[in-house]
Amino acid sequence: MSPPEKIVGWVLGGLVVLAVALIPLLTRWLLPDDNYWIQILIWILFFAYLSASWNLIGGFAGQYSIGHSALIGIGAYTSSLLHINAGLSPWLGMLLGGVVAAAVGGLIGYPCFRLRGAFFSLVTIAFAEMLRVGTELTDTVFGIEVNGVRGLLLPVLGHRPAAFQFVDKRYYYYTMLGMLLVVLAVGSAVKRSRLGYYLAAIGDDEEAVASLGVDPARAKLLAMILSGFFTAIGGTFYAQFILFITPTRTMSLDFSVQMVIMAVLGGMGTVLGPVYGAIILVPIAEITRAFWGGSLQGVHLIINGALLMVVILYWPQGIEGWVRRWAEGLVRRIAARVSPPPVVEAVMAANAPVMVLPEGTLLPTRAISGNGEPLLVVRNLSRQFGGAIGVRDLTLEVRSGEVVGLIGPNGAGKTTVFNLITGYLTPDTGNIWLAGTDLTRLGPHAINQLGVARTFQIVRPFIKLTTLENVMVATLPRVKGVAEARKEAERYLAFVGLSHRANVVAGGLSTGERKRLELARALATRPRLLLLDEATGGVDQRSLPGLVALIQKVRKEGVTLVLIEHNLRVVTMVADRLVMLHLGEKIAEGTPEVVVSDPQVVEIYVGGAGAHR
Amino acid sequence: MALGAGPPIALEFPEMHTFLQGTVGGLLIGGTYALIALGLNIIFGTVRVINFAQGTLLMVGMFMTYWLWALGGVHPYLSPVVTVPLLFGFGYLVQKSLVAPLFARERAREPMSVLLLTLGLALLLENLALLLFAADFKTVQLDISLRTFRVGGIIVSVPRFIGLIAAGVTGAGLYLFFTRTDIGRAIRATGQDREVARLMGIDDFRVYNVSFGLSASLMGIAAAILVPFFYVHPAVGTSFLLKAFVIVVLGGMGSMPGAALGGLIVGVIEGVVGVYVQAAVAQIVLFGLFVGILLVRPTGLLGVERR
Repeated sequence: MSPPEKIVGWVLGGLVVLAVALIPLLTRWLLPDDNYWIQILIWILFFAYLSASWNLIGGFAGQYSIGHSALIGIGAYTSSLLHINAGLSPWLGMLLGGVVAAAVGGLIGYPCFRLRGAFFSLVTIAFAEMLRVGTELTDTVFGIEVNGVRGLLLPVLGHRPAAFQFVDKRYYYYTMLGMLLVVLAVGSAVKRSRLGYYLAAIGDDEEAVASLGVDPARAKLLAMILSGFFTAIGGTFYAQFILFITPTRTMSLDFSVQMVIMAVLGGMGTVLGPVYGAIILVPIAEITRAFWGGSLQGVHLIINGALLMVVILYWPQGIEGWVRRWAEGLVRRIAARVSPPPVVEAVMAANAPVMVLPEGTLLPTRAISGNGEPLLVVRNLSRQFGGAIGVRDLTLEVRSGEVVGLIGPNGAGKTTVFNLITGYLTPDTGNIWLAGTDLTRLGPHAINQLGVARTFQIVRPFIKLTTLENVMVATLPRVKGVAEARKEAERYLAFVGLSHRANVVAGGLSTGERKRLELARALATRPRLLLLDEATGGVDQRSLPGLVALIQKVRKEGVTLVLIEHNLRVVTMVADRLVMLHLGEKIAEGTPEVVVSDPQVVEIYVGGAGAHR
Repeated sequence: MALGAGPPIALEFPEMHTFLQGTVGGLLIGGTYALIALGLNIIFGTVRVINFAQGTLLMVGMFMTYWLWALGGVHPYLSPVVTVPLLFGFGYLVQKSLVAPLFARERAREPMSVLLLTLGLALLLENLALLLFAADFKTVQLDISLRTFRVGGIIVSVPRFIGLIAAGVTGAGLYLFFTRTDIGRAIRATGQDREVARLMGIDDFRVYNVSFGLSASLMGIAAAILVPFFYVHPAVGTSFLLKAFVIVVLGGMGSMPGAALGGLIVGVIEGVVGVYVQAAVAQIVLFGLFVGILLVRPTGLLGVERR
């Protein structure tokens, strides 16, 4: 966006906030008794707030918590119990509740975040249900009255701002509006921060994130802690607004699901999405309640369930993208009218190449050396899957500056070797060293930080991020700020010849381009050793020479390479040495000429086909 | 103090008797838990997604069983003849028309959005049932419903005992299905490695459809087992679903023997804690177990790490 557009955007945003702030004054002026309407507005803000808090972990990181109501309950009960029993102002209790919920969120998140996706959803829903049942059954804890299923009635104090109690609902309205703005500001800051990029990438492909030296568990944990803190504060607001809390309501599955649905409908992972979701769904719930109130409960839940399915199936990006495009168009039109861009600039902007960088800039690799010291040492490595053998007793050395080709038929264990070296699998026996450091029990991100990068057999770009952002995920861990990470990432894109595609969403790249992108991403972690898993696999004939030239260019930069390659012509051209695997064992090793003419190798590659007959 | 002609075990070890009563009670219901967890694991083991509507499918099965009895006078033990094919078709269609498009769109191996989709389906069906059948607790009164017998002083409920047997027979039938039939082997192969299975000529999406159908149809059998002694209510699925989550994590995600073992363990824990403290506390104990397993052995008791 150009500077005038930015200014217009800020002004428009400010006007919207101002308009929202003026609504209560308008309703008072228009309606004799506006309490009901104010209440609905407060619910909209409240659910927008809750959903935005959920979105920090659920949307930003794609970790679907279905038990966030537990955190609401923790917030509501912490501040209320402290208020009733210790006379502590709920304003302070609110922060304490937030801290407790952040800690609890971290504790339940910790074991799950080392595992993949679904576990977290299962644990959160189970935790919320069991905390609810537990609270319902508890009358006193250490002499403190919790009052079980009957819940807590907060003392009514009248208009006492210091105790977070007001008679006029407008105060609650402005309190909630302020809280909502805070959580949106936090969301927006996270989104533009290092953490935001990591989370977005994690939402796409967690394992690929780990290969870039980022610890996904840590990023998710941070997001969960933030999310827990803000969700619990919402719980305190709820307690002070209603002045009556029960475990059955505050920790209900209904609350948890509402948070999810509003974020999904509004646009998961976007900053403002939850607000749009709340604006639509809260009134729907109110209307159905008004029409079918007592007799037919759950009508709004039928609508919610159906909406959730329809949105997931047909409109996964939700409302936000649609509103944003419209708003951006408006901003552009206004900005153009206020300060028309100078003609020369406009023409330049239209014709400018996306980036002007000389291709083939020197890569700042860590160890540019061809001194022949052993860099990677693998000793007696074995790994089984159930009863099936993946790799058996493999011993291997790769000297620094060398290019080694790993060949063998399908199922020979080549990718398993890569997975073992990079920490995606742990070996049953054996050891792996990189320049004397034992890698054997380390996780993928730690191994990458020590200087081993890899690509994947089936390319794994973060399809929702742009090409440039994909590489930024790899540069962010080792530079100071986002701006610097972007500049670094541009160099690597230039190196692989993808500068012109920098701002394209990676989902729109061709297979050849994806291979290049993955190479750029891996190189951007500044590896000493790079493992390329079928760098040319699935690529059409025309793109092949370019990719081979690129691999040779990487080699010239002094990066030590191990390649898995099916195309024997390519691998004999690029590699100094070949290692042949068969059924998990090394059966030949040496210069390409020697290995390719080894009778055993020939037997497997050529005669093997004959043996089938 | 034992009264009258008390059973010998109770006379000598009253504590032992309470423990055994809890264990037996737990084992009896544990079989049904195992069946529901098996349903989850058939889907997780092959399609690699969590079906949040599994409990809701059980609820649908229970209502079908209930109405077959209330309107048509069909004995619940005969209802699977109707409910199993209907639920199979429903599960098959859900996978084919709702879940499969997500696989195609996300190009992911384990699209997480399926979780949200099935959550939406669960919400929809559960509240539709609430709207149609109201929040009443419906029960089916059969002549066997309250009948019990005693073994060494342990009271055994007849319908629960029949339920355990039926769950065992169903489990054995599934074992034969998975080991002896082509489609059963295809399901297992796809679960182990879908890419290789595809190379071997297995139509993996058809396998997914059948897995969903099979999993849903199991809920018809579970419903037939439960209805003679358990209330029918629109929200009945949720508590069973949560226990099934604990069971699959305990036994190993995707492991069929794990589901059977986990179901019995969870039943026994619930039964024993239930007789000593109270049933609701058992839930909290189960959650502790759940998180403990995740921390110490995330693959579960019988789970196998996959390539």
